Parts: sequence; structure tokens; C-alpha cells
Amino acid sequence: MINLFLHAALLTTTPILLAAIGGFVNRMGGLVNLGLESMMTAGALVAVEVSASTGSAFLATLAAGSAGAAVGLLMSLVITRLRANEIIVGLGFTVAVAGLARFILKSAYGVSGTYDPAGVVMLPRLAIPSLDRVPVLGALSGLDPLTWLAWALVPAVAFALARTRWGLRLRATGAAEATVRSVGLQPLAIRDGSTIFAGALSGLAGAHLSIGIVGLFNEGITGGRGFIALAAFYFGRTSIVRTALGALLFGVFDAAQIRLQGRGVPAEIVQTLPYVIVILVLTGLGFADRRAMRGNVLR
Amino acid sequence: MIARLTAADFGQATAAVAPFALALAVGALVLAATGHEPAAVYRLMLDEAFGGERRIAATLTETTPLLLTGLAAAIAFRAGVFNVGAEGCFYLGGIVAAVIGYSLPSWPGVALIPLALVAASVVGSAWLVAPGLLRARLGVDEVVTTLMLNFIAIDLTSWLVDGPLLARGSANSATQQIVAAAELPRLLPPTTLHLGFLISLILALAYGAWSRFCAGGFESRLVGLNPRFSRAVGIDLERVVLRTMVASGAVGGLAGGIHTLGLVHRFVAGFSPGYGFTGVAIALLARNSALGVVIAAVLFGALSSAGANIQLFSNVPIEIVEILQGAVMIFAVARLTFRWPPARSAA
Repeated sequence: MINLFLHAALLTTTPILLAAIGGFVNRMGGLVNLGLESMMTAGALVAVEVSASTGSAFLATLAAGSAGAAVGLLMSLVITRLRANEIIVGLGFTVAVAGLARFILKSAYGVSGTYDPAGVVMLPRLAIPSLDRVPVLGALSGLDPLTWLAWALVPAVAFALARTRWGLRLRATGAAEATVRSVGLQPLAIRDGSTIFAGALSGLAGAHLSIGIVGLFNEGITGGRGFIALAAFYFGRTSIVRTALGALLFGVFDAAQIRLQGRGVPAEIVQTLPYVIVILVLTGLGFADRRAMRGNVLR
Repeated sequence: MIARLTAADFGQATAAVAPFALALAVGALVLAATGHEPAAVYRLMLDEAFGGERRIAATLTETTPLLLTGLAAAIAFRAGVFNVGAEGCFYLGGIVAAVIGYSLPSWPGVALIPLALVAASVVGSAWLVAPGLLRARLGVDEVVTTLMLNFIAIDLTSWLVDGPLLARGSANSATQQIVAAAELPRLLPPTTLHLGFLISLILALAYGAWSRFCAGGFESRLVGLNPRFSRAVGIDLERVVLRTMVASGAVGGLAGGIHTLGLVHRFVAGFSPGYGFTGVAIALLARNSALGVVIAAVLFGALSSAGANIQLFSNVPIEIVEILQGAVMIFAVARLTFRWPPARSAA
């Protein structure tokens, strides 16, 4: 019972975590990404299409990541090169890509709302038979590769940001753009790179939703998870571990909400929790900042 | 002098039209790629939006909520407050107006309608007091808080119409119908154009006058342009931010109330197809000017009223409208640096 719930919670966490890691890296590079949802949508649709036409879940995942990366690059260029407000561009991409996906469904496949082609190959589930009967750890058996990838990325990204040249450059781009430029690097290109990374991970998140869980594309398939990922990396602030914990927390809420349905707890109320938490976290951080400022005479 | 003025005006006009033109170009690409004839589709849309009195009335009906959410966004953006929370206010204003509209059946319309609209505005402003205070006092990013509040408001209202406020015997998530006395009068029966359109026009006029002739309007512009200078000349920034948020929320709530009383006549789940977000695009496109908001709202109104019809009369999916709206949002904030006459120097 506990294994079943934890297993479900891990699966619902994966898309949020993937997108949140992307958004976190993007934000470290100085761009707050509100378009994660659009990159997820692109990934989810492309994954279903490629999976059905090639019969390969691997190719589908690759294509989904590339589709997300392409949307990310496009969004990044508008923000960095045309100096557009990142928040509005992100929302604009969310609106436009959602519309585009539905447009393609109707126009190219002649369906409305749900695209369910024959022959969709799902992501494999990696069984670990020796764990099946162990309490708690048993939840780790039967997860898909993207879930493992998502969790492996947490220490990997933490290491890359803290210990590698690329990580330093990325952090510098977010913190002191002028300095990066003055040493002869191109901060905008580095920032674009971080958005491509965020797009690729969000594309994978979309693939996880479409060919990892349900096996079809539905117009509401992302269900605001891009914004919940935003909530997770706002919650995490400058720590990827805290970002991942935030994603896990929201994933657990998501799984709990499905189980609590029909037991008197309204799903809509549970769904508001991530958003409420973000506001509370931001409020707490605001108070902390003000306390820190008190010591500053100049204020 | 006159020549210079017109050149500047022309430049501004280009800056406002360019995003729309670029969005139409993107839409044309999508249409062409999916085997439609862009020029023919756009001509059909133009005809469906403005061809004849009945169609113009339909376009203006669609314009009404957008005009109000556009104003709500413009009021905020003008003061440098990036409030994207009109969507949430719209939902809350809509549900409050619906509840008042059906629970006081013995009241006459002259009392019931103002009460419902005032209540809708009050709820809208109250909803944005928290992000206003957080921004003013603690410097918390209002974009994120108002965005989150949108999702909360949408979930909250859909819970209300699924449970406590669900009309008896109704299969879908909706409240009861409001009483006939609470309905806003129609302007051009049998079309759906209602008094709400006039109310929103008057509000746009009032906004224009306020921003041009009133001290408060000047203050808010100054704060938007240069907060540090404003603080230095003794403007109370916190008060301006909070006041702006409350006013913006009131207009957002009113928009929802008018949408209920004028068109939908009850509150249903999925009440707004993103009117609040389109309002953001409208305000950006209009650079917060009152006239600009009216024009942009009519354009977007035309888009959505035409979108519904072209789906009926051709095989172009209605989603082309969403693609266009998203593209306008994107291009509206991009610095396209169109200059007329073009700058000669290399720099």
C-alpha cells in the first residue's frame, strides 16, 4: 500500500522535477522561464507522434527533448536578442503553443482534444525484482528511465554548477552579466544555452506525461505542471536540492489528490496547495530580506 | 514642429501595429503549412468580424470583457506594477455577481445590478490587496504572486460550482441562472451586445481623463517611469503601488461581473477563455493608452468573434486565434526597433 502510493508519487513528481531542474538552471543563468508549459506541450505531442510512427520510445524521447529545446531556443532568442520582457514572452509562448498544438490536432489529424494514434510504444518500466517486497524501497521498482534520469540530474547539475567551468560561467551570467562580458565571454549565448537546456528537459517532461503515463496526447495533458515547476524552483531559490524537494512535495500532493478524490476532500482545493505554498514562501523570503536589510544604514 | 510631431506619431503608430502585423505573418505561416490559404482565411475573418451590423455587434460583445481586462492591466502597468492577476479577479467577480444575481429575486434591477457589479469589483480589489501589500512592503515579485493567485481563484471557483453553489439538477458545473431583473439590458436586440459595452467604454474614457488630467494619474506614471525619482520628490511609493493594485483588481472583478450579468447569465466552470491574459497583451500593445486599449480590444474581440465563425464556415480550426493572440503578446514586448525614417548612422 505504502509502496503503491510512493510509486505513484514518484511518477507524478518526474515531469515536475524535470521541468523544475530546467527552470532552475535557466534562472541561474538569469532568465525566469514562464514558458516551461509550452515546451512540455511540444514534447508531449512530438513524443506521441514519433513513438507511433517509429515504434521506438527512445527516438520519441529524443525527439521530444529536441522539440522542447527548439521552443526554448526560440523563446530565448526573443528575450535575449529582442530584449523582450521574459514574463510576458513566457506567457505568450504558453498561449501560442497550446493553441498551435490543438490547431495541429484538428488540422493535421482531424481530431479534437485527444490524439490517440495506434501503435504508441510506451517508455519501458525498469523492474527491480529483488526490491519488490521491501517496504518503501519497493516503490523504486518499475519506474521509467526518465524518472531515474531526473533524479540523477540533481547531483549532476549541483556538481556542474559548483565545480565546473561551465557552471561558473552560467552562474556568473545570472549574477553579473557585465563581468562575463568584460572577460570576453558572451553572456547572451550562455543564457540561450541555459534556456535550450530548460526546453530540452521540459520536452522530456512532456514525453513522460504522454508516453510514460497515459500513452496519448490530450490538450490539457500538461495541466499547469510548467507553472508548478516554476513554483518548485522559486521554492528552491538558489539550491537545486531544495528545488527537487519542492518538486517532490508537489508530486506527492498530486498523487495524494488523485487518491483523496471521492473521500470528501475536494480535488480543486488540494490543487491550489502548490500555488499557496509559493506565495507563502515568497512572503517568508520577503520578511527575511527585510530583516537582513534592517542592519543596513543606507536603507 | 508639426512635421516632427507627425513623424513621432507615425513612429508610435508603427510600433503599435508592428506586433499585430508580425503575428498575422506567423499565423499565415501556420495556415500555409497546414494547407490553408492565408489571404482567404484572413479575408473571411475580416468579413466575419465586421461585415454588417449583426457581426459588428458580435465583435463588440466579444470586445467588452477584453476592454475591461485590458484596462485593468493598463492601470497597473502604467505605475510599473506588473499585475497579471486580472484573470483571477475576473473569475471571482463573475461568481459573486452570479450569486447575487440569483439570490435576491425580489429586488428591482436598478438596485440589483449596481449591487452585483459593486460587489464584483470589491471582491476583485480585495483579492489583490495581498500581492499589493507584499510588493509595496516586502518587495515580493508581484508577477509571480498574481499569477499564482489566478490559478488559486480558478480552482476555488470551480470547486464552488462543483459543490456548494452547483445548481440543483444541473449536469455541468454551473450556478443557477440569474433572475431576469439582474440581466444587463441588450443594446441592439436580437444581438447579444449589452449595456456592459457602454460601461466599459465610459470606464476607458474615465481612465484616459484620469491619466491625462489628474494628479493621481501623473503620480502613477511617474512611479512607473522612475520609482527612485518619485521617492525623491516625496511620492509615497507604497501607497501608489497598493492603490494601483486595488484599482486594477476592481476593474478586473467588474469585468467578470459584467460578463455574468451581460452575457453568460450565470457562472460556469471555465468562465474565461483567458480574458485576463489577453488583457495583458492588449495593455502592452496599447502602451497603456486609453484609446490604444479600446482599439486593441476591438481587434482582439474581432479575432475571437471571427474565430468562432470561421470554424463553422471553413475548416480552419478556431485555435488560429490563440496562436495569433500568443504571437501578439510575444511581439508586443519585443523591441523591434523600427525607426521611421530609418536611422542613417551605423550605430
